[in-house]
Amino acid sequence: MLELRNINKYYNPGTINEMCLFRDFNLTILDQEFVSVVGSNGSGKTSMLNIICGSIPTDQGSIIVNQTDITTMSEFKRLRKIGRVYQNPAMGTCPSMTILENMSLADNKGQSFNLRWGTNKKRIERYKESLKSLNLGLEDKLDVTVGALSGGQRQAMALLMATMTPIEFLILDEHTAALDPKTAELIMELTDRIVKEKKLTTIMVTHNLRYAVEYGNRLLMMHQGNVVIDQAGNNKRTLKIEDILDKFNEISIECGN
Amino acid sequence: MKKLIMSALILTMAAGLLAGCANSKKEGQVTIGIGQFAEHGSLDNCREGFLAGLAEGGYVEGENLKVLFENAQADGGTAAQIADNFMAKKVDLIAAIATPMAQSAYSAAKKKDVPVIFTAVTDPVMAELAKEDKTPNGNITGTSDKLPVEKQLEMIRKVLPEAKTIGIMYSTSEVNSVSAIEEYKAVAPNYGFEIIESGISTAADIPLAADNLLEKVDCLNNLTDNTVVSSLPVILDKAQEKNIPVFGSEVEQVKLGCLATVGLDYFDLGVQTGKMAAQVLRGEKKASEINFEVIEEASFYGNNAVADQLGITLPEELVNSAKEMFDEISE
Amino acid sequence: MLTILLGILEEGLVYGIMALGVYITYKILDFPDLSVDGTFPLGGAVTAILIVSGVNPVLTLVISFFAGAVAGVITGLIHVKLKVRDLLSGIIMMTALYSINLRIAGRANLSIFSKESIFENFVWDKLIPDFFSPYLVVSLLFFIIVIMKLLLDLYLKTRSGYLLRAVGDNEALVTSLAKDKGTVKILGLAIANALVALAGSIYAQMSGFFEISLGTGTIVIGLASVIIGTNIFKRFTYFKATTAVIIGAILYKACVSFAISLGMEASDLKLITATLFLVILIVSNERKRRVKGNA
Repeated sequence: MLELRNINKYYNPGTINEMCLFRDFNLTILDQEFVSVVGSNGSGKTSMLNIICGSIPTDQGSIIVNQTDITTMSEFKRLRKIGRVYQNPAMGTCPSMTILENMSLADNKGQSFNLRWGTNKKRIERYKESLKSLNLGLEDKLDVTVGALSGGQRQAMALLMATMTPIEFLILDEHTAALDPKTAELIMELTDRIVKEKKLTTIMVTHNLRYAVEYGNRLLMMHQGNVVIDQAGNNKRTLKIEDILDKFNEISIECGN
Repeated sequence: MKKLIMSALILTMAAGLLAGCANSKKEGQVTIGIGQFAEHGSLDNCREGFLAGLAEGGYVEGENLKVLFENAQADGGTAAQIADNFMAKKVDLIAAIATPMAQSAYSAAKKKDVPVIFTAVTDPVMAELAKEDKTPNGNITGTSDKLPVEKQLEMIRKVLPEAKTIGIMYSTSEVNSVSAIEEYKAVAPNYGFEIIESGISTAADIPLAADNLLEKVDCLNNLTDNTVVSSLPVILDKAQEKNIPVFGSEVEQVKLGCLATVGLDYFDLGVQTGKMAAQVLRGEKKASEINFEVIEEASFYGNNAVADQLGITLPEELVNSAKEMFDEISE
Repeated sequence: MLTILLGILEEGLVYGIMALGVYITYKILDFPDLSVDGTFPLGGAVTAILIVSGVNPVLTLVISFFAGAVAGVITGLIHVKLKVRDLLSGIIMMTALYSINLRIAGRANLSIFSKESIFENFVWDKLIPDFFSPYLVVSLLFFIIVIMKLLLDLYLKTRSGYLLRAVGDNEALVTSLAKDKGTVKILGLAIANALVALAGSIYAQMSGFFEISLGTGTIVIGLASVIIGTNIFKRFTYFKATTAVIIGAILYKACVSFAISLGMEASDLKLITATLFLVILIVSNERKRRVKGNA
C-alpha cells in the first residue's frame, strides 16, 4: 500500500514566480491496483510520480509504503522496490551496451554490483525467453547494442528491464507517448500482460484517454494538483471515454489548452 | 572525404616513422644538438658563448659543425621530446642549457652513450648529474652557474649602507631559486640584512606579490629565476614608483634597468663549456672523465641611468672595478 | 630509424597507460576530467621521493597507483557531494595538486638517476644480455600496459564494470537499478586517476627525474590519444577500444616526432598538438547522442 499524506509542493518558493502545485494532497493506492492517471499539462501527474520516486523533494507531508515512512529516503534507495519506465525510450536502457548486457544489468538490480562477471551465462536462456515473449525478434540480437534499436524496441526492453526483478510498484510515466500508434498499442498490451502476470501495483500516467479507460482497475483525473475524478472497481469497469472526456474538456478549456 | 583525410593522416604518421632514416651527413662534420630549457637573456648568452667556445676549440658552425637548436620554452615534456629527437637524429653530442634540459638530455642519451655537456646548472650534484667529488655520474659533464651570493650582498651593503631588508621574489617551482634563497637567508645576517622572500607559482602572481613585497623592503634583489626574470619590466616599473632600487643577478638584467649586480658573465660560462665540448668532440677525453666546473668569478656591472633616476651615487670603488657600466636603460 | 621508433614506442606506451585512464573518464564516464594534469606528476612526485628514501621501485608503482586513486576520489567528491560542475572539479583538483606535488617531492625537480628503478636495477644487470638492453624499456612497458589493458577489459565485464559503463551512458538507469550514480562516478574517477598516476610513476622512473612542469598538457595528450584511437579503429570491431586507445597514444607521439623531424620547432609543439586534435575532431565529427541526466 502506498500513501501520500498531506503533501505540499511549491515551485520557485520565495520568488515572484512561486507556484503552489500540491496543497494538502492525499492519495492512497492499494496493493495490486493498476491506476491510470490522466490530466492536462501542469496538473501534477508527473510531479506526483517524481515525488513518489524521490526525484524531487516535497515541502511538507509524508510518503508511506506499507507503514514505512520513506519521505527522506533517497531516490536510488526507493527505486530498489520500484520499477520506472519513462516517456523517452532512451532513459530506460543503456544505448552503448548490448541487449545481453542491458538484460544482465537489470537482472542484477537489488544485488551487489561486485567483481563477479556482469553476465551470468546460465541466465542467458532465461533472457532469451523473456525477450521472445516480446515478439520483436530481439532474442536473436543479444550482441546488438541497444542504441541500434528502434524506439518501440527500446521501450519494450525498458519495460522488461524495469519489471525483471521483484518490485512492489511499477511507475509508467507516459511510456507510450513517444511511440507510433501501432507500437504504442503493442507496448500497452505488453504492459497489461506483465502487470497481470506479476501482480504489480501500477501507476500509469497517460495522455491517451482510451488507454486510461481500457486498462487498469482505477482511474484518476488530476487538475491543478487535485484529484477531480477517482473511479475504481465496478464504476471504473463501466466507465466510457465520453464520461471523462466532458470533464477533461472542461478543465482543459479552463487552462486555455 | 573523411576517408581521404583519414588516410592522409595515417600516411603522414607512417612518414613520421620513416623520417628518421634520412640523415644527411657530410664527411668530417660533427652534429651537435643544443637544447635550451627557457628563453631569457642569460641562457641566450650562454648559448652564444658556447658556440664561441666551440669555435675556439676548432669547431666552427657551418664549416665542420652542424648545430641543431631547440628551445623547450620551460616545458618539461617538450624538453624530453627535444632530447629524444636529438638522439633520433644521431647527434654526436648534446649541449643542455639549464637543469631540466640537462636531465632530459642525460636520460635520453645514456642508453646510447652519447656525451652530454651541460651549462647553467646550479647544482649538478643535487640533480644527480655528478657526484659529490665533482666527478661525472655518467657520460655527462659541464659547468655550473652558482650565484655569487656573498659578493652580491657585499656589493648591496656598499651601495645602500642604511638598508636593512632585501626582498626576493622567486618561483617555488624552480629548484635553482629555492636553493639560492636558502643560501641568501643563511648568509644575509653576516651583512646585516634580513631577507624577505615572496614565493610565486606563475607569472600572473608577480604584480600582486611585487606590490606586497615593496611595502616591506628597502631594496629588491633578483635571482636567476626564469619566471621572475621574464617579468622583470613589471617589477622594475612598480619599484620605480616607490623609488626602491632593484639589484639584478646578471648583466642582462642591469641593461634592462636593474641598478647593479655582481654577476656571472654567462657568455664566459658558455665559452668555457664550449671548450669542454670541443675537447670531447676531438676525442681527447670522454665527458665521463672530466669533472664539472663551477664559475664563481663574478664582476660588477652598474647602470648609471638607473642610479640617476633613484638619486643614488654608486660608490667609486665599485664603478672603478666594473667590468661594464651602462648609461641607458634598454627597452 | 630504430632509435626513433624505440623513442616513439617508449613515450607512446607510457602515455598509453595514461590514455587508458582518460578513456575511462572521457569515453566511459562522459566526464572531462582535467585533474589528470595533476595526477600524472603526482605519480612522478610520489615515486621520486619514495625512491630517494629507498623504497623498492616496484612498490612505488603500487603506491603511486593508490595516490592517484585518492586524488580521483577527491575530484569525485567535489563533483558529487559539493555539486561542482565536472570540468570545474577537475580544474580545482589540478590546481591543488600542483602545490601538493611540490610538497610531496619537496622541490620542483628531483633526480633519481643514480637510484635503482624498474628499468635499471641489479636484477636486470644480471639477467639481461647486452644485445637486448636497448629493448628492455620497451619490453617492460609493453608488459605493463598489456596487463593494465587486460585488467581493465576484464573489469569492464564485471557487474561493477557494467555499472560504470551504464553511468556514462544513462545516469537515470543507474538510479533505476537502485544504485547511487555518484558513488559509481567516484569509483570511475578513482580508477582513471590511478592509471594516470601509475603512468606518471613509470615516466619518472624512465626519465630518471621528476619535474613539476611535466604535467602540463597531459589531458590534451590523453584526449588526443583516445580520440585518434577510437576513431581510427571505429570500424574494426574486433579491436577493443582499450587497444585502440593505446595505439592512439603511439600514433600521437609518432605525429609529434614527425612534426619535429620535419623541422618544426619544439616551441610550436602545442600548436601542432592543437591542430592535430582539431583535425581528428573534424574528421570524426562525433556528436554525442546521449541522454543527459534526467532529461
